[in-house]
Amino acid sequence: MVISAEILEATLEHFFLAYTALLAGIIVAVPLVLLSLYSERLASMVMKFSNLVQAVPSFAVVAVVVPLIGIGFTPAVIAIMLRVLLPIVKNTYIGLFNVDPALIDSAKGIGLTEFQIIRNVRLPNAYPAIFAGIKFAAILANSIAVLTALIGGGGLGSMIFEGLTNFNTAKILAGTLPVIGIALFLDFSFSVLERRLTPEYLKNDI
Amino acid sequence: MKFKKLFNRIESIRLEKVTKRYGDRFAVRDLDLEVRGGELMILIGRSGSGKTTTLRMINRLIDPDSGRVSINGADVEDFDPVRLRRSIGYVIQNIGLLPHLKVSENIGLILKLEGWDEAKIRERVTELLNFVSLPPESFMDRYPHQLSGGQQQRIGLARALAMDPPLLLMDEPFGALDPLLRTQLQDEFCKIKKELGKTIVFVTHDVNEAFKLGDRVAIMDNASLVQLGTPEELIFEPSSELVSEIVDSKRKYRHMEVLKVRDMMQPLDPGYFLEGSLPAEIALQKMVDGGLEVALVFKESGAAGRISLNEVLKAGKTGKNLNEISKPLLVFPADASLFEGLTQLKEEGESMALVLEEGMPAGLLFSDRVLQGLI
Repeated sequence: MVISAEILEATLEHFFLAYTALLAGIIVAVPLVLLSLYSERLASMVMKFSNLVQAVPSFAVVAVVVPLIGIGFTPAVIAIMLRVLLPIVKNTYIGLFNVDPALIDSAKGIGLTEFQIIRNVRLPNAYPAIFAGIKFAAILANSIAVLTALIGGGGLGSMIFEGLTNFNTAKILAGTLPVIGIALFLDFSFSVLERRLTPEYLKNDI
Repeated sequence: MKFKKLFNRIESIRLEKVTKRYGDRFAVRDLDLEVRGGELMILIGRSGSGKTTTLRMINRLIDPDSGRVSINGADVEDFDPVRLRRSIGYVIQNIGLLPHLKVSENIGLILKLEGWDEAKIRERVTELLNFVSLPPESFMDRYPHQLSGGQQQRIGLARALAMDPPLLLMDEPFGALDPLLRTQLQDEFCKIKKELGKTIVFVTHDVNEAFKLGDRVAIMDNASLVQLGTPEELIFEPSSELVSEIVDSKRKYRHMEVLKVRDMMQPLDPGYFLEGSLPAEIALQKMVDGGLEVALVFKESGAAGRISLNEVLKAGKTGKNLNEISKPLLVFPADASLFEGLTQLKEEGESMALVLEEGMPAGLLFSDRVLQGLI
């Protein structure tokens, strides 16, 4: 019973860590991309930075945070956030920018303001792509949250690493099985959500 | 945002010395053009001739580098672009219906942004759908992808008309449709054009479309206006080889639908007319004196007759008057289409007809002369 309470606690911690970071990632990424609609320089900077972080191995991202901001929960959140930024940024960017130019042109022509075009044309067009990015980011956050145990993020990762250092198979499984479970649950629940949220006109194409 | 239209009717749209360049290339160069209120002005030219740029400078989708665009005398630069565009209908070839919105939401989008209430929007959308011949009950709730190309184009027009703008800008609206559908929509558009009573600027590269729909046609080439005129003027007085090539004026018969009887009639010497009540005997004398081989009779009823010297001679002293012995002559109003005129001549087996301008004789239409003129 002690074990299961411990697992539950670690799982909740893990969840909290991963999704605080994911939420932070969304809160940072989406406005950044929206702003880069107005500035080509910002757009290219945002994309370059996200690609750079993506190119660095996850483990290195987690490690490099330590000398910069130390260890603990917040650095772990920041490390995960940095890592999940790219899929969200990239997909949001693609969704917002890859809009049929005729749509923008006619929306402008009938008298929509820039803001109304983002709100009524670009964003609805981008939802499926943004959502796919968030789904990918969620799964990524889950797996990196395991690594951040090394820098004091806690959660299931701590259990796994403890198990590994002590050759404690039960502990390893107690850590890994929930992680795998969470991953499967995420994939499933996001797929359901995705089907629900996909606009009518795109359903035939899927 | 409470919206007031910037103008309720168009007196004129004037482009003065307007230039727009992209890098080294002139999109429009020193253009002077005036669109009169109530007319349908066609801008025609090859791709890259500047016609679309010209159109888009009217609703400020493009701002000129120099020169002035004004509507009813007011510089468009002084208007807020969003308010300006909401006062002007805009239809493009790709239509640009928003795929995630239903037909009714697409048409009502601007109305909603303008803060109309739901019931009023619905009423207006219903009215517009009826206007473009799409039954509202079956189209309201469809999505754009569930519509054919022609239906989408109608919705595009309905959306442009939502705010009841006095001015419509149309950029090759029928360009993407197959020929049969295009003809159908052009025919319908011709009809509703009159009902609409709006000023329309219409870009096309299809000369048949231009002549079918346009009151006046502006031919553009190489960023400049080459010639501006009615279809008839362009066919008969092309100012250059290029115009002649574009309107295909060497083969005028292509334009029989566009040309009017007036364009091909021969001027008429009033000396040919004799009073219908004249007895044959006196008429004979007049014709001999005047050297006339043939005479025409015009009755108050608008009918006309033709009589040759021989026939007058034969009638001789029977005491009959010209009205009784003349043969009926076909009569066309001057603005009848040449095509109809020729068809009727052929059906009746006649070779000539009298052309009336405002009810008075103005000229004669000879089938052989017409055919010669058309080749």
